[in-house]
Amino acid sequence: MDHDGCVTCSDAGIPVRVISVEGDDALCEDAADNRARIAVELVAPVRAGEILLTHGGVAIGRVAAEAEEDLR
Amino acid sequence: MKYVSEFRDAELARAVAAAIASITDPDRHYKLMEVCGGHTHTIYRHGIKDLLPEQIELVHGPGCPVCVLPMGRVDEGIEIAERPEVIFTCFGDMMRVPGSKGNLLEVKAQGADIRMVYSPLDALRIARENPDREVVFYAIGFETTAPSTALTLQRAKKEGIENFSVFCNHVTIVPPVRALLDSPDLRLDAFIGPGHVSTVIGCRPYEFMPEDYGKPVAVAGFEPLDILQSVLMLMRQLDEGRCEVENQYSRVVPWEGNLQALRSMAEVFELRPYFEWRGLGFIAQSALKLSGAYADFDAELRYSTPGVRVADPKACQCGEVLKGVLKPHECRVFGTACTPDHPLGALMVSSEGACAAYFNFGRKSLEKVEIGSKQ
Repeated sequence: MDHDGCVTCSDAGIPVRVISVEGDDALCEDAADNRARIAVELVAPVRAGEILLTHGGVAIGRVAAEAEEDLR
Repeated sequence: MKYVSEFRDAELARAVAAAIASITDPDRHYKLMEVCGGHTHTIYRHGIKDLLPEQIELVHGPGCPVCVLPMGRVDEGIEIAERPEVIFTCFGDMMRVPGSKGNLLEVKAQGADIRMVYSPLDALRIARENPDREVVFYAIGFETTAPSTALTLQRAKKEGIENFSVFCNHVTIVPPVRALLDSPDLRLDAFIGPGHVSTVIGCRPYEFMPEDYGKPVAVAGFEPLDILQSVLMLMRQLDEGRCEVENQYSRVVPWEGNLQALRSMAEVFELRPYFEWRGLGFIAQSALKLSGAYADFDAELRYSTPGVRVADPKACQCGEVLKGVLKPHECRVFGTACTPDHPLGALMVSSEGACAAYFNFGRKSLEKVEIGSKQ
């Protein structure tokens, strides 16, 4: 997946969009249109279209829809 | 992509920087520590330090797991990797961390079967594909990474995969922060809290920092505007005399954290009584080991690692840099004997290490000009 940080800690947390859910995994797409299977047990249930924060192939959180408001 | 580009808007960044400058007391020196190595990386990669008033000093904290790993744990990992029956798997950064007799990359060159993986789930896949070999995953990282290891072990147990084990070096963020706050040689005004660790543990664990030590905290994301906004939040707290935990990264960090991830970790791990940190020494209850229910997957038990302690090279001042006592360029071997190509200390290895960030993003030359001009 597309990131410019170190996978060993935390700044490689990558926001991805869920394309489809396949059991405990989901096919997800990052900002550079890379697709990968992500384990989603830790944020289940997930739906197509949701934005997840992933780390090392595992989703560890959700990105809130109102994120842009944080900037204002 | 949304949630990335908006947080790199130069015009907004200048506006936030101006707001910070407007409430900065010209007669005061502010020391803010960014706990997480990811923040250090962002600060230098995007030149954030240059947007801040000179009164604000950013001090780099101990939040890079590669950097705080003591040499003895590297040596023990290498000993496991050298066993002929083992396929040893680890993240890329771990390959170059120096042990007392070399690093994993050198051991791989000598014939050991060491494979770089992106995820612990990749290591588990290798175990499935190689049932006649023993696959060991070198687990490292704070609470951001620990849930991935926990989930992987839960899957391994569920599938009954017996040729898979984990050499667990996971650490926790709160005990070293408390150790820093108790350190007599470091005066800090406020903390930029780690964003993705907090995605898992939430913001509540930091409440002792304002309550017991009187230090404001702003949990922050990793884009340039995240860092600037968190600095503004901390400066407002200091300006208004407030002292609390604030969540700048609320688009990702729930106040209570990720309860599913915490439950998973609670099942798979338990706290070690103590663990050695590079530069900080032994800290009680600061690291994780596999719980009794997962003892069959514990590489420390499977290979009877002795728990050796190895001192850092004498020339290396990683400890002082990790505690924020020295800036990276003030280390006696920075940029000379110790470079990203030939690191002596772990802080020069990881892209999140303060020394690597200084070296790669040009702080070395700038800082040295400044020092020269003062003399």
